[in-house]
Amino acid sequence: MKGRKLHMTINRRRGIEAFIFLFPWLIGICLFFIYPIFVSVRLSFSEITKFKGFIMEWVGLSNYNYIFLYDTKFVPTFLQVMADTLLNTPISLVFSLLIAILINRPMKARGFFRTVFFIPVLLGSGYVMKQLLGMGADTTSITQGIMVPEQMLDLLGPTFSPIVQSVLDRITIVFWKSGVQIVLFLAGLQGISSSLYEAAKVDGATQWEMFWKITLPLISPVILLNFVYTMVSFFTDSNNALVDYIVTQIFTNQQFEYGAAMSWVYFIFSFTICMVVIAILRKRTYNMGDRA
Amino acid sequence: MKIKLEKLLVESLTAQRKDTGKRKAKGFVVRLLFYLVVCDLAFVFLYPFITVIVDSLKTDSDIVNITVKWLPSSPEWNNYVVAWKRLKYLQYFTNSMLVCGFSTLGHVFACSFAGYAFARYNFRFKNILFGLVVLTMLVPAQVLIFPLYMQYSNWGWINTYLPLIVPTFFGFGLSGGFFIFLFRQFFAGLPYEMEEAARIDGCGAFKTFFRIMIPMAKSSVLVCCVLSIVWHWNDYFEPGVYVTNIDKMLLPSRLPVLYGLLNAEQFDTIHVNELDDIIFNEAMLMAATFLVILPILIIYSILQKKFMEGVERSGLTGI
Repeated sequence: MKGRKLHMTINRRRGIEAFIFLFPWLIGICLFFIYPIFVSVRLSFSEITKFKGFIMEWVGLSNYNYIFLYDTKFVPTFLQVMADTLLNTPISLVFSLLIAILINRPMKARGFFRTVFFIPVLLGSGYVMKQLLGMGADTTSITQGIMVPEQMLDLLGPTFSPIVQSVLDRITIVFWKSGVQIVLFLAGLQGISSSLYEAAKVDGATQWEMFWKITLPLISPVILLNFVYTMVSFFTDSNNALVDYIVTQIFTNQQFEYGAAMSWVYFIFSFTICMVVIAILRKRTYNMGDRA
Repeated sequence: MKIKLEKLLVESLTAQRKDTGKRKAKGFVVRLLFYLVVCDLAFVFLYPFITVIVDSLKTDSDIVNITVKWLPSSPEWNNYVVAWKRLKYLQYFTNSMLVCGFSTLGHVFACSFAGYAFARYNFRFKNILFGLVVLTMLVPAQVLIFPLYMQYSNWGWINTYLPLIVPTFFGFGLSGGFFIFLFRQFFAGLPYEMEEAARIDGCGAFKTFFRIMIPMAKSSVLVCCVLSIVWHWNDYFEPGVYVTNIDKMLLPSRLPVLYGLLNAEQFDTIHVNELDDIIFNEAMLMAATFLVILPILIIYSILQKKFMEGVERSGLTGI
């Protein structure tokens, strides 16, 4: 054993170690990701001719053609979802950073507030929230008048108040999905050493300057993490109109091939957007542990 | 000269005192505004939770009465008894707990492993593989569920908990990619000195990982645990597809069943047991909802302090 160790170069040994650490994941990706994707891609180019034994026939691009040429629902829903995500993600990030900074300050009942901001996560992604949001759909939205009482909005006059109201409603729903982001930002803020702020204060920096020169650069890795997380959670949300449409096509209408094709179109676009965002943000993040 | 100096000193002191007085008043207003904003925001976040609790205590007549919004006329605790029985709570609670426990364990192991490899090692195709991690996060569970269903049914895993538990031990399952990303970000933020010191002292890679890195990553492990438990508990999509046997269903999957009762009950004339005499209403559904999320609330309130402590001690950005 010892003799063999001597023959290995350090790089090789590190490589083997890395492989062992990655091993479970490598098996996982083959079994639970690449193979199903392969089946799904093949499905999107084929038509199932026999359910018994799952026999498929190659039909080329016809499923994809159908999406863009015949389906009147896909493209509008798709654009809507993209616009929503691109709008909601920055809102969610800015507000969760703001809330994290607010509850990171010394204050009374800090623990209570920290728990409060995490509560929608506990109710969270599942059936409970869907039901709460769905409940308001037929009467009035349950988000109405939570943030600012309706009476106050009425002062704005009939033209502006519905606009402000709808913006606030949107923000409310975004808020409820920001619990994880707030916690991650809090973690990031806690990680910044207070000596940096003290040094800056001694040098006469204002709070505003300290935010831009200390807080923001040091929290940038968390911003990247949160950006990815937020975008992904909006894209893959099961309440998302497009995902809902695809699932209906697959499970209710049993259009397996068509559902697969649609999900690939959707996936390729959302993936490209995420990658572009990561590429842009990665250049601007600053890691303490990074070695140039 | 001396008097002049003294006078100056006194003057400057009083001026300072006046200034602090002013600042105190200004500070009070700012603090008041601050608490108002925080309380308002807190209310927005608490709203769904309060709604569930309040609605669950409403009586039959309160539900239709729109004037009863925040205070039920008399709290109807019986709703909880009905909901408990309708949910068959204990049986389904055990099922959910089993799945949750094992899958969380799987996530902590597999994702910290993979995250560490991505943060600390350089190997071929690293960027491509990490791109794949992001890719696994991006693909909605709904997209792959059909091929996966075929695969699991070939393996005879349908109506067992294996499709929910086994993938987590390989860093997959619900949001596995996110946890890998979380661990990678955490480990990437740590300084190299600890590991180098350990290596120089003759500590092997795995010993270093378990004895040094994992204890340092306690906060991330806790974040991973809490989130994994919460997400697995709330998920109803995957269990709903893989586990269709009524006795093996998970707790949240009972909610849609109860929701179905809401409209059907009135026309149902077949009475099987004494529960059928009670008309199932929305308040009872809310009580059931509360009972379903109750374990999560309890677990979170226990872990919360440690969770926050871990957050305080070392954040995601490391030192």
